[in-house]
Amino acid sequence: MMSEQNNGISRRSVLKGAAVGGLGLAAGGSLLASCGKKDAGPMKWGGRGLEESSVKWHEAVKAAYETASGTTVTLNMNDSNAFQNNLSQYLQGTPDDGFDWMAGYRMQFYADQGLLEDVSSVWDSIGDQFAASYKQASTGSDGKQYFLPTSWYPWGLHYRKSTMTELGLDPENIANWDDFMKMLEATKKKGLIGYALGDKGGWEAMGTFDILNARINGYQFHVDLLAGKEKWTDAKVADVFKHFEMMIPYMNKNVLDISWEGMRDLLLQKKCGAMMMGSWFSGDFKTKSQADYDDLWIVPFPEINPEHARDTIDAPIDGLCVAANGENPEGGKALVEWLASKEGMQARLDSGNTFTSANSGQDTSTYDAFQKQQLAVMGEAKNITQFLDRDTRQDFANPVVAPAIQNFLRAPKDINKILESVQAQWDALPAL
Amino acid sequence: MTTAVVDKKYKNSQKTKDRIISIVIGFFALAWLFPIAWTIWSSLRPYNDVISNGVFSFPKHMNLDNYYNAIRLMKLPMYLTNSFLITFPAVILTLGFGSLIAFVVSRYSFKFNVALLLFFTAGNLLPQQLVFIPLFKMYLAIGDFFGNRALLYDSILGVVLIHVAFQLGFATFVLSSYLKTIPKEISESAMVDGASVWVHYTKIILPLLRPPLASLAVLMTTWIYNDFFWALVLMKSDSKRPITSALARLQGEFITDFNLLAAGAIVAALPTLLIFIVLRKQFVSGLTLGSTKG
Amino acid sequence: MKSTATNTPVRRRRSFSPKDRLTLSAFVGIPTAFHILLVWVPAIGTIGLSFTFWSGIHLSDIKWAGLQNYNNILTGTPVFWDAIWHNVIWLLWFGLIATPLGILLAYQIDRQIKGHRFYESAFFVPVVLSLAVTGIIWNFMLQPGGFIQGIMGRDISNPVSIYGNYSINTYVILGIASWRHIGYIMLLYLSGLKSVDPSLKEASAIDGATEWQTFRKVILPTMKPVNIIIIVITVIDSLRAFDIVYMIYGSSTGWPILGILVFQNISGGGMSMKGAAYAVILFALCIGPMITYLKQSFAEDVK
Repeated sequence: MMSEQNNGISRRSVLKGAAVGGLGLAAGGSLLASCGKKDAGPMKWGGRGLEESSVKWHEAVKAAYETASGTTVTLNMNDSNAFQNNLSQYLQGTPDDGFDWMAGYRMQFYADQGLLEDVSSVWDSIGDQFAASYKQASTGSDGKQYFLPTSWYPWGLHYRKSTMTELGLDPENIANWDDFMKMLEATKKKGLIGYALGDKGGWEAMGTFDILNARINGYQFHVDLLAGKEKWTDAKVADVFKHFEMMIPYMNKNVLDISWEGMRDLLLQKKCGAMMMGSWFSGDFKTKSQADYDDLWIVPFPEINPEHARDTIDAPIDGLCVAANGENPEGGKALVEWLASKEGMQARLDSGNTFTSANSGQDTSTYDAFQKQQLAVMGEAKNITQFLDRDTRQDFANPVVAPAIQNFLRAPKDINKILESVQAQWDALPAL
Repeated sequence: MTTAVVDKKYKNSQKTKDRIISIVIGFFALAWLFPIAWTIWSSLRPYNDVISNGVFSFPKHMNLDNYYNAIRLMKLPMYLTNSFLITFPAVILTLGFGSLIAFVVSRYSFKFNVALLLFFTAGNLLPQQLVFIPLFKMYLAIGDFFGNRALLYDSILGVVLIHVAFQLGFATFVLSSYLKTIPKEISESAMVDGASVWVHYTKIILPLLRPPLASLAVLMTTWIYNDFFWALVLMKSDSKRPITSALARLQGEFITDFNLLAAGAIVAALPTLLIFIVLRKQFVSGLTLGSTKG
Repeated sequence: MKSTATNTPVRRRRSFSPKDRLTLSAFVGIPTAFHILLVWVPAIGTIGLSFTFWSGIHLSDIKWAGLQNYNNILTGTPVFWDAIWHNVIWLLWFGLIATPLGILLAYQIDRQIKGHRFYESAFFVPVVLSLAVTGIIWNFMLQPGGFIQGIMGRDISNPVSIYGNYSINTYVILGIASWRHIGYIMLLYLSGLKSVDPSLKEASAIDGATEWQTFRKVILPTMKPVNIIIIVITVIDSLRAFDIVYMIYGSSTGWPILGILVFQNISGGGMSMKGAAYAVILFALCIGPMITYLKQSFAEDVK
């Protein structure tokens, strides 16, 4: 049931999309028309993320839509983790019409189960605002679309410009693994943590694993491994962990004590050099102070294997789906159509949200430097993956891989035993 | 007679021992409360004060700002109302049903009495997760049967009913234990006087059950109010969730105001703390009836 | 509790009026039906589901699996044995340390040593706090930037490793769990102690016994019914332990325990009936103590 083709987006397609810049009136025209004919009555929008910054932009966008369309929207905000963990019940029970979700396997699984509404008609209407590769990522295994992308963000090395200047380092120009190690060493010498990591939640370290695997063994091997076509006991995987192990001396000592918030705090309080994370946390820096946010920067993880260079990146795409069991699916489609369009995304950006829009027609002139850098980092990559726990089976990612990496961090010498166990558990999974 | 002397020596050495015991326990009691005290202390200091001056610094500012912000962000009125709407009916129904079973089982001698009590008590010991998957499907099916999918799922009613079903065992057990201490004669004379079962229950037994009902009410309120599992898995609308979800609204504030979270925790805990303080005596006697038999 | 001699139910043939019969049926029937429908039926359902493969969505997708889930757990999931081991440690800690401390505490407070009213409340307060609040309180104490770190003079870049330090995190977790458990046991026992005949204690004192001897030889045996219940609660709570670990590690297996394994496998998109199998194993382990509890509780009635 794993549709491998939908897991990656080829860079060329993304490029093509970006070149189709200002869509202007054509898109705007069709949008107004669709607004009028499709929306039927009040709609419900299920939002993810109960933090104040998240609630703020959801409410801003809701207000903008109500003004633009004249219909009422009921906003139902949910705690991110609780929402994820209970999506199965949510979709079977009484879901909202449109809701925030993610691309990748997690979307395709629910589409296959018939819990998502086919939104191909929305793609017919505003599909030209997105690169063809996004359409691919939004397609289920039956060839129809079930997802509208709204925003995406890269996983990369984040650091404070001021700290790097003080250390006399230049992270933008790390040519290879040796240079990277030298940078970590220099950071440690000055009394800071070279590479901050917190893996109490079990998923944080997947970012590091993903990028190491993609850099060392390439995009295809990474995708195949997650689809079960390659084995975890392969020497290539062991090689990934060898590199991972080399980084451990430069990490904070309490990796398994802290979660991603701990990592963020280390960077915020200037206790570390680099941190591998998705840029979505940058809003927290902005909440703390504009100065902190301006000091933040991101670069892709350095090249390790010249054969693959820096051609792959984890750039999870967030977006919207329509629930098949909602009360007003047609209304849901109209809702997500507007939310995913340039207008909807503009309302979101205007509220101060620091994400980058997935809409290729978006006016990026209002982006700040950090947002533009995020785009540049993602734009550089040929292949895009969605992050391990969105790219593979749900009964494998968190129950098997997460504890395996935690065990590795605790006892790196046991890696062979750990990998054998991971492979055995994959083999024991029931067919879907 | 040496008993008096032995007595006095024993009493004195015991007094000293007791003083030591009291001091040792006192020390632990303070240690027990310390984490809570530390949280309250932190909640009264603005975060920036702590960050610039350190965790142990003498506070330059102390105020209730964190509390104002926590209450504003946590949307307390909505969540507290839901908690009340869930807890109050659940407690009433549990006590009502429990007293009915306890009444029949202890005032009348039927062959099934013991089996019934066993049945309810065992049900009380089952873990919640054992039950959740089929229960969810059942809730949807029942809702569909009555034409309203959200009859039990994502509804206050659904959460109330599962709480009642789960707490019924404990309530039944406690009340039936208590009823055994009430002399049979009272019921006998009522029956001889020709009282119907209904009158027997309402006019005679129910008034006598007031003490254990009060204690159980206090216990049940705390347990149901503090539960997070059922509302988490059976509800989808934020507007219907109880207070256990309220703190999630502060989690994103972690960095800018850690002490804000502390204030939020105290606010969330206040109702149960208040109930406990006011009705301390009832708490104790509530558990008494469950653990001993006359 | 008074000991009245004539409390045994009198077995007499009695005939009920139709109205009474109806009332009695309703009194028993409604709560029972309710309890069966919402607790027992789903429980049996889960037991059945543990023998299937299912994603939890469409009933038509249920496939028979026989013992494969159990086989997978017992032979193919190393973290299961780590979890069982942790449950055992939990049980040993609660049984040998936490519960006895609660009992001793109850005894001293019952003796009304100075300050006993304050102590009773102080130890019970943690029991009334909800899980989320408990989590926040202990995070304040233990995390980087917290109290313990501060005491040891560590800032957030070099904190003492606690939750991630596998030599000590077990004790930390058990400590937090005991923080709640001791107060609960204390109160349970205290309630029982209040019904012990004071004349027994007096007699023992007159005989020249020390307090410790009185406790061991007089109080403890008299409290036999309560002892059994305390033991059973200790065992079941150790096997069902979930809250505290979930609060610290979320649904990750940072510190595996049976309750977390159940939760991890039934929540999220990865719902599998392996979770049901875990739940059944948990239930099976609890059955022994449950039956003991019930036999003890109803010993008097079964005559």
